[in-house]
Amino acid sequence: MINLFQFIPEIFILSLILITLCFGLFNKDRAISLNTLGFILLSILLLNYGKDFYSSTQISLNTINLFVLSKIILSIGSIVFILLLKRSLENENLYRYEYVLFLLFAILGSFVLISSNNFLTAFIGLELQSLSLYLMAAFNTKNLSSNEAGIKYFSLGALSSGFLLFGISMIYYDTGSFNIQNLDNFTAISEIGLSLVLISLFFKVSAAPFHIWTPDVYEGSPTISTLFFATLPKFASLIFLFRVYQELNISDIKSLNYIFQMVCAISLLVGVYGAITQKVIKRLLAFSSINHIGFMLIGIMSYQFMSEGTLFFYLIIYLITTFGIFAVLLNLRTVDGEFTKISQLNGLRFTSNSKSICMLVFFFSLAGIPPFAGFFAKFFILSASINDGYILLSIIAVLSSVIAAFYYLTIIKNIFFNKSEIELLDDNNKTGKVIFISSGLIITLFFIYPDPLINLVDNLFK
Amino acid sequence: MSFPILSLLILTPIIGALTLSLSSSTQLKNKTIFLSGLWITTGEFLLSLLLPIFYDKSKNGYQFIEFHTWFDKFDINYYVGVDGVSIPLILLTTFLVPICLLCSINSIKNRAKEFVIYFLLLESFIIGVFVSIDLVIFYVFFEAVLIPMFLIIGIWGGENRLYATFKFFLYTLAGSVLMLLAIIYIISKVKSGNIELISDFTFDQQIELVLFLCFFASFAVKVPMFPFHTWLPDAHVQAPTSGSVILAGVLLKLGAYGFIRLSLPFFEYASIYFQPMIFALSCVAIVYTSIVALRQLDMKKMIAYSSVAHMGFVTIGIFTLTQDGINGAYFQMISHGIVSAALFLIVGVVYERHHTRMISDYSGVTNVMPKYSFFFMVFMLSSVGLPGTSGFVGEFLVIMSTISVSVYLTFFTAIGVILGASYMLLLYKNINFGDLKSDIKQLADLTNIEIFYFSCLAFLTMLLGIYPKLLFEMINKSISLSII
Repeated sequence: MINLFQFIPEIFILSLILITLCFGLFNKDRAISLNTLGFILLSILLLNYGKDFYSSTQISLNTINLFVLSKIILSIGSIVFILLLKRSLENENLYRYEYVLFLLFAILGSFVLISSNNFLTAFIGLELQSLSLYLMAAFNTKNLSSNEAGIKYFSLGALSSGFLLFGISMIYYDTGSFNIQNLDNFTAISEIGLSLVLISLFFKVSAAPFHIWTPDVYEGSPTISTLFFATLPKFASLIFLFRVYQELNISDIKSLNYIFQMVCAISLLVGVYGAITQKVIKRLLAFSSINHIGFMLIGIMSYQFMSEGTLFFYLIIYLITTFGIFAVLLNLRTVDGEFTKISQLNGLRFTSNSKSICMLVFFFSLAGIPPFAGFFAKFFILSASINDGYILLSIIAVLSSVIAAFYYLTIIKNIFFNKSEIELLDDNNKTGKVIFISSGLIITLFFIYPDPLINLVDNLFK
Repeated sequence: MSFPILSLLILTPIIGALTLSLSSSTQLKNKTIFLSGLWITTGEFLLSLLLPIFYDKSKNGYQFIEFHTWFDKFDINYYVGVDGVSIPLILLTTFLVPICLLCSINSIKNRAKEFVIYFLLLESFIIGVFVSIDLVIFYVFFEAVLIPMFLIIGIWGGENRLYATFKFFLYTLAGSVLMLLAIIYIISKVKSGNIELISDFTFDQQIELVLFLCFFASFAVKVPMFPFHTWLPDAHVQAPTSGSVILAGVLLKLGAYGFIRLSLPFFEYASIYFQPMIFALSCVAIVYTSIVALRQLDMKKMIAYSSVAHMGFVTIGIFTLTQDGINGAYFQMISHGIVSAALFLIVGVVYERHHTRMISDYSGVTNVMPKYSFFFMVFMLSSVGLPGTSGFVGEFLVIMSTISVSVYLTFFTAIGVILGASYMLLLYKNINFGDLKSDIKQLADLTNIEIFYFSCLAFLTMLLGIYPKLLFEMINKSISLSII
């Protein structure tokens, strides 16, 4: 008998989908604001009763905490996302309520993916998530590059799903089980199968050398979709990757561990070298996210040192920063349409105080320079990796972050030093402003008073 | 003492900066902004004067200690305190920042509010470096200094400022990240970031050498030592006068301070092992950069190269690992902080009036600006190391302590003194004497404000030169503890 109790968060989202579907026919504004409310409710539900949902199952306490925390982060992220959604879709004449449905399906897929203990369930979750993402990429149907992004994403994503299925079937052939938790007795066939599974997951989190889709898709999609790709689904896939790594003890399987380390090092380097020459800000952010994925993979590999705390810490800070940066970008427009190039940021200092200072905070934080939260995120990842003996990787990581500092500085240079060439229109979106100012504040204040965030992560892992 | 004076020292400029940033910039005049900045920094200076007054020179160890847990889980603490080595540098900082603001009242016209805010932040970060006795917050402040400095050079610098400021930032960052790795490794071994605990810990010899090199990378860029010095002339030439003053006066000392505070006590074996390398680099720095300075056409560049040479004395002094040597090096640090700051101000004065830094554009300045030539002479002689000025004491002690190590070393350092005298006198002669050029004639002599801060600086150099005991009393005990 299946205990439905543990599916409450998923059922909640499913009912939200149905309600939105019916309601959106009549009033799309209300349908969207209803979702904000729904996700607020869901996060409160998870925060208070999250652990009880899984108490009847045989999952270990640590994993339950992982589920709950990542689902809370996903729903809070969705709230912020939905708040930003309306204005930016209106700006591009894309304001349709179906967009929210894709979002909901993607989040549902992410929820399923995170808490799946079975490769097949994980596949379903991942597909549900990815299919919604393809649609989100191509949402601007009148724009050629958006269509191109959608098709590129879809064709490459389908290929990677093929890898995933093939890998799963090889594992099934070898061990006779789809279960993630009880896989022992590896033979070479399961190892190959697992490596295929890993490759597919690396594709989803856009780790190099499986990253080729990232810059194109980031650039072509509507900016609001780019924000979504950069944050929540990636987060979910990363958590699943982490679970695979942890449950299957990949650190003990030498060949796979090598693959992991290689991917990590390549991501760190490809990320920075790709980003240096970029002129379009979304492409730059795509490459910079690849570099950050490298750091997160280090966090996954060295989770034993400070438990999951280090990884989550990095992820949370990274999510907040990315949300902040995109909130600023979504708030900026040029006279002749959307704003794309880094050089268009020139002289932002003179047009908007709050935006330029927040951008300064975000980019210095991404570069890992104190006194901003990004420094401690990197600091903890590096301490974990040095304690686990990945010295070479740590050296690559810090050197890559020096190179990364160069292109973050270039952006800051454009904002602070250069004179503006074209007029930037200030969108003056109040919600957007609240979001980027509060994320900027969190990132600065965190440094002075880190207890709340640390305690949040800590309590859930006790 | 329960009064949290050190936190107050760190927080005062930050709070001042916040208040300024919240005020609406359109209503305030530039002068009001600078005046409020001056009030804050002067208050800060008076506050920092409490440190030497209440500091107990007879005790060992750190005083005015404050301890707060910062990251409970990772054992990172806000742990600050001062000893004899840090107090003079804190005073130097709080003394120079008001002067920086004072000298830019007329020269900084656009975005004055930002300028004052960055300077206030810079001040509090620098003080943070000098007071922290936990490795992590030391690193945090050490790195944070880069941000305001990057913006100061980048916004108010000369034509080629972008190149200079990027070079400055990336060079320093590249050095620092290696130190970050070393710090993480040390903390994972010792299980604490406390500087005193780490000093008692002995590392594996091979590892100690690597760790020393990691720290060396960071501090050598900051000092700057010979092969890593190329960012300095660029940064100095492009920075506004006040930026050069704080750069030469205090930021260069962060590296030397790091050597004294961290490298020597942590890595005793490695300090002796790498002694020859550091001596060699410093000798090259002294002789080579002095010769380079001789051929410079740009005043600021010449003084920048002379800074590298003078800091060469400091590194030699520190790594003789004797009491005299380190005392001398430390004295040289403070003296160089005052004198080079004053020399950059001197350049700033004529640059503001004549808008060129080329030496060949000036001659016979003494005819129209007699007061200026007077102060120029005082600082020039102090830089050369004339007895009776502060420059003499440090150089003398360093040269004396090198005799016990090697006579060749003494030879090279002494050559440095001669070369130093020749380029400084040449600079002085070319600018102040000779025929009066026609376009120099309308230059006005020093204003009252300029006379005020130059006499403060001149008084300090004289005081330290005539009565060096003032400083030695403060540092002797703390330095004797850091020697092996």
